[in-house]
Amino acid sequence: MIIISPYSQKLRTGKKNPKNYPYWKELIAMIDEPIIQVGIDGEEQLVDDFRKNLSMDELSSVVRECRTWISCDSFLQHLGWDLGKKGIVLWGPSDPLIFGHSENINLLKDRSHLVKDQFIWWEATEHQDERFVSPQIVLEYLKE
Amino acid sequence: MSKVLCSVATRGRYNTTLPLVLSAIINQTKSPDKLIIYDDNDEPQDMRKEMIYQYFFQMLDSKKIPWEWKYADKKGQHHIHQQANIAGFDWVWRCDDDAIPEPNVLETLYSYAKRNPKLGAVGGSILTPPDMPDTSKVTGKIEDISREPNAQWNMISQVKPVDHLHCSFLYRAGVHDFNLGLSRVAHREETLFTWGLQQKGYQILIVPNAVTWHMKNPQGGIRSETNADLYRHDEEIFTNFLRCKGKTIVVLNCGRGDHVVFKRILPLIKDPIVFTCYPDIIPGMSIAEATSYFGNLDQFSIYKKMHQWNWTESLEKAFRKMYL
Repeated sequence: MIIISPYSQKLRTGKKNPKNYPYWKELIAMIDEPIIQVGIDGEEQLVDDFRKNLSMDELSSVVRECRTWISCDSFLQHLGWDLGKKGIVLWGPSDPLIFGHSENINLLKDRSHLVKDQFIWWEATEHQDERFVSPQIVLEYLKE
Repeated sequence: MSKVLCSVATRGRYNTTLPLVLSAIINQTKSPDKLIIYDDNDEPQDMRKEMIYQYFFQMLDSKKIPWEWKYADKKGQHHIHQQANIAGFDWVWRCDDDAIPEPNVLETLYSYAKRNPKLGAVGGSILTPPDMPDTSKVTGKIEDISREPNAQWNMISQVKPVDHLHCSFLYRAGVHDFNLGLSRVAHREETLFTWGLQQKGYQILIVPNAVTWHMKNPQGGIRSETNADLYRHDEEIFTNFLRCKGKTIVVLNCGRGDHVVFKRILPLIKDPIVFTCYPDIIPGMSIAEATSYFGNLDQFSIYKKMHQWNWTESLEKAFRKMYL
């Protein structure tokens, strides 16, 4: 079983968070394993099993049980690291060398896509699909 | 060689004590690497049109001392000092606009700075005759601040470590922030700042042969403000910091994942008092409580710190730099 955490925190402006991976639907269609989506109310449901608003204990329990997890730069990449469960992080404009953990598989398309100032509010950055790796690349790492 | 910025925050003193201060700075035996005058006047003027100031600017140019006149945003001198603090210099010599340093002050203060890697700030005598209280038994300890005169208020005969400094001094830049939660009067701003440096493990010294004449000008500066509530507000913040003496104040006003990363650091911190957004990850008091105790929380923001440090390493290492 795989856990996915597709979305970063919602922006106050209502704009799409630039850290959100744009190809979830294509990626999910390629995965031949049960998937649990974790997130909160208001996020788009991408798979049948969508578990919302889990407590820390509940989320930790699911992470411990999964084979692995896939996440954008959001809470799950830190929790998985903390629990010692290796997963895949799909990076876009934020820098894995600052916000990531080397114990995870950090997929960054190109450092030239990182925003210059990593410490601004993300509201100031536009979402760009081309910042992210393709689902095919994610799948290769998922099979490892 | 370390770079020294001389910063002067001024308000309401264009034609009284400020020209004396600038003249004294220009005539130091050691020149600063730059002079910035932060103009916090309610109705700022272009002083390049004033004859006496024209001479000052020409003298600065002749002595090859870069200078800048910056119009401040009228939030109080603590905001100005913080700008100077993060302006990219190694040391900042802060001069009040009614405190006139003798010609050797910067040279003397810097002589201590350059040979002591653990020095946080160093100050000399700050004299306001005829009021020169007996300071022979003054401890300079923060807990005695309300019951003794400041150690700088008379001639200093020997080097002495203290907990805090007053008025004008030379400090190590970019290590500790000025508290931007204080009101416009910024009561206790220099006490909180220098004591904060000391709490971070740096020495604070008072030294002889560095006299500044403090002509407590009743017009201008913070003495323009008479609202007692502002002083009370600032005193309360100061008292709350004092209550945390010896402890490490941790304010996690950041994301949920950041709290998870911080979990690895917390056991290494000596005697922490924690304020947190996510008590299910890091237990502690609320951020609202932190705001009411300490005012503005920018000084605790790991993101502002990483921005200030041009940080390129991990978040965990940034937390370590901030708290360990």
